[in-house]
Amino acid sequence: MRTPIAYFLVLSGILFSIGTAGVLLRKNALVIFMSVELQLNAVNLTLVAFSRMHGDLGGQVLAFFSMVVAAAEVVVGLAIIVSVYRRHHSVNVDEARELSG
Amino acid sequence: MTPQAVPSSMHLLWLIPALPLAVAIVNLFVGKRLGKLAGVLASVAVACSFALSVMVVRDLLTMPAESRLYIRHLFDWIRVGGFNVGADLRLDQVSAVMIMVVTGVGMLIHIYAIGYMDGDPRYGRFFAYMNLFVFFMLILVLGENLLVLYLGWEGVGLCSYLLIGFWFDKTENAVAAKKAFITTRIGDTLMLVGLALIAQKFGTLDFTVIFGTAAGTLTKDAATVISLLLFAGAVGKSAQLPLHVWLPDAMAGPTPVSALIHAATMVTAGVYLVIRMHPLFEISGVALTVVLIVGLLTAIYAATCALGQDDIKRVLAYSTISQLGFMFMAVGMRAYAAAMFMLVAHAFYKALMFLGAGSVMHGTHDQTDMNRFGGLLKPMPITAITFMIGAAAQAGVPPLAGFFAKDAILEIADHSGRIGIYVLGSAGAFLSAAYIGRMVFLTFFGAPRSQDAAHAHESPAVMWFPLAVLAAGAATIGWLNLTPEGRLSEWLRPAAAVAVSGPGLSTGVLLAIAVAITAAALLLTWWIFGSGRVDRAAFLDRAEPLPRLFKNGWYIDQAYRTVLVRPSEVGAAITAQVVDAKIVDGAFNAIGAGTKRLAQAGRRIQTGYVRSYALAIALGAVALLLYVGVRP
Amino acid sequence: MPLDNVVFWVFAPISVASAIAMLVMRNAVHAALFLIVNFFCIAVMYLLLDAPFLFAVQIIVYAGAIMVLFLFVIMLLGVDRTEDLRERLAGQRIAAVVLGVGAALEITMAIRAGVGFARHAPVSFVGGSAQALAAKLFTTYFFPFEVTSILLIVAAIAAMVLAQRKARAVTLAEAAAGRPEAPAPAPAAAGAGAGPQVVP
Repeated sequence: MRTPIAYFLVLSGILFSIGTAGVLLRKNALVIFMSVELQLNAVNLTLVAFSRMHGDLGGQVLAFFSMVVAAAEVVVGLAIIVSVYRRHHSVNVDEARELSG
Repeated sequence: MTPQAVPSSMHLLWLIPALPLAVAIVNLFVGKRLGKLAGVLASVAVACSFALSVMVVRDLLTMPAESRLYIRHLFDWIRVGGFNVGADLRLDQVSAVMIMVVTGVGMLIHIYAIGYMDGDPRYGRFFAYMNLFVFFMLILVLGENLLVLYLGWEGVGLCSYLLIGFWFDKTENAVAAKKAFITTRIGDTLMLVGLALIAQKFGTLDFTVIFGTAAGTLTKDAATVISLLLFAGAVGKSAQLPLHVWLPDAMAGPTPVSALIHAATMVTAGVYLVIRMHPLFEISGVALTVVLIVGLLTAIYAATCALGQDDIKRVLAYSTISQLGFMFMAVGMRAYAAAMFMLVAHAFYKALMFLGAGSVMHGTHDQTDMNRFGGLLKPMPITAITFMIGAAAQAGVPPLAGFFAKDAILEIADHSGRIGIYVLGSAGAFLSAAYIGRMVFLTFFGAPRSQDAAHAHESPAVMWFPLAVLAAGAATIGWLNLTPEGRLSEWLRPAAAVAVSGPGLSTGVLLAIAVAITAAALLLTWWIFGSGRVDRAAFLDRAEPLPRLFKNGWYIDQAYRTVLVRPSEVGAAITAQVVDAKIVDGAFNAIGAGTKRLAQAGRRIQTGYVRSYALAIALGAVALLLYVGVRP
Repeated sequence: MPLDNVVFWVFAPISVASAIAMLVMRNAVHAALFLIVNFFCIAVMYLLLDAPFLFAVQIIVYAGAIMVLFLFVIMLLGVDRTEDLRERLAGQRIAAVVLGVGAALEITMAIRAGVGFARHAPVSFVGGSAQALAAKLFTTYFFPFEVTSILLIVAAIAAMVLAQRKARAVTLAEAAAGRPEAPAPAPAAAGAGAGPQVVP
């Protein structure tokens, strides 16, 4: 493989930053959640890249587990979003302002 | 009995002040439930003190003349370093006279008050305060050291305040009480400085030590300073110029209070103090001169003011100030015996007149304005007769006590070459007789000038009985000192030397002049005020502006108010409204407000927007990354 | 031109572009679809990195299950809702962009300082085949494996509990009328019948 590992890492960094920007910029709860998933994927890419670099399969195993947990998290997170929707009848995250001081 | 042995009842000396104190405490706590018994109990306590005083003085008489001194150490009071003050009592000739006067006159006044204060809701408390006063006064005169004296001094000041303001529901009474306390406080503070100086110079406050070593320890200047400071306290307590302003206002208190405190006892404390400390005064000749001048000026000033008062109690108040001035004159001329004699006589006739005034007030529905009296001789004969006996005594009608007392002082003035003093003093005597005459004629003679006077009635027996006793006393007490070398002078000689007798007009001539002055004053006032032949209103109009000047005390009170009181009030107002309310409270409120604003600012972080929180987290993470990347 | 280079330089830009597209799409469904594209690209990256198993799992689990779940919920909660473009929070947009760019730069710096941009000699690598991963998974990492299975069950139960509608006692009036009335009023913003009625 000729591509320097660093390139993968940079790609992952860029994707992570885009995910961060998405969390901060969007108001739709679902889109925010999707940005979080993007961040998780970026990190998985990092893990696999390093696993390739060091020849250690542990990175891939960790990425695998990360996917599993991400799946579980998505399930619960979407259930919460549905509950919040039932209360506010909107997925706009700015509507949930009850905890203001 | 050997000369050194202590006679049998002398060791009961401490009971004399202790009994009134005990009953005072009892009355303070259960007085309400005792009802009328409180007054009886209080009177009995003072009567027992009087009986004990008689016994103790009788025992003192059995001791040889040169060593009539009994000192009793009760307990150690203050022991700090080398400075010791004990709770010590001293009985010598001077204090013997004082305790007899205080308990004797006090006893009669308590009995009078049983009837006078009947029906008052705070009956028990009144007698508690009265007994407390008697206790403090006795402590004052029985003290063997200056601190015990000062304890009594302050204590009588306190009781005076409590009793003047006894009917504190009326604001003016409370104001008068406050005025009395603050004015005497000025004198007391100066006196305290004097005490401190004495303690510094002598290392102790004991009389025996001070009198023994005074000549060697004090320079003339030091003695002058100390004496003047002590005299300042006397000026306050005895209401002399310039600290006299509280006494006329103190008449707001019940009449028995005026009689006991402001005629017979507390105001004489100043005279007692100077007589007691006379060794210091004599080392500094200047101090005695100051005492003389102050006494003289006060005597004349107060006599003029008494001439202009309409309120019968205020006449008596100014009269007291004036008579005290005479006493201080005597002290200033080193005539201590004459001063003491006048003190004793004055206690009798002034208390008598105050109680009589109270009886008049009682009989005319609490009127005090003499313009509303008139013709009270017929409806209130006992009051009138006893009052007139007291008045005659004060005016100097022979052979009553006042005549001998005043004459003694004037005689000493003349014989010691102080002709100016003699003349001015005689003028003061004339004025004294004049205002007394005016008071008597306006009150008891002529036609009644108001409904209350027309329907007046005599007071109950419990009130006129003490009047009778006091009248008898006022009439006869003259035998104590028919001449300046009389019995009292002889009695006091070991303790207080008698003034020197020198050349001058003979005694007989002086007596004749004195009688003439008194007669002239009384006839003049009879003509103007009593006979009804002179139109009073027209006369007063023509005499203007003197009547108004006299009535307002030569406007000294108003001057004090403008120069001293108003600035203090302004200062107090500034302190209360600006410093306290704005600055101090402001500082605290600012702290509170500042905290609140801080919290409000902090509150703005909690926007409730999830995305703001997310931004904060992201910011933190990026910053952390930066730090980790950048640090060396 | 080595093949992996070509593949990389084709799919990397696509993944970045689709990520950015997801970011800016106003319609949630469009955003989800672009994310799926992104996941595909990442799967290809996995393939480049000698992780064939993960390539498969990425497509099956992420693109196939998770995103489908997302699309279901979007459908539930209003497909045609477009997001309000007005930004209420002051400075949020600028801060987000700055932070995003900043994070990217920082990560790049970190990578340059750490791994370096040079080419590495290929390490002998067993490869991420299913057998190899299974060998690792069922021996060394067996315990986490079991735990994650419990985790999945718990997550499923939690989702069911969270998404439940609260049961309500039937009133007499309702019983007489034979049908339930409007659902219990939720506090605050809820109005009766506001928004599309969702039936689970």
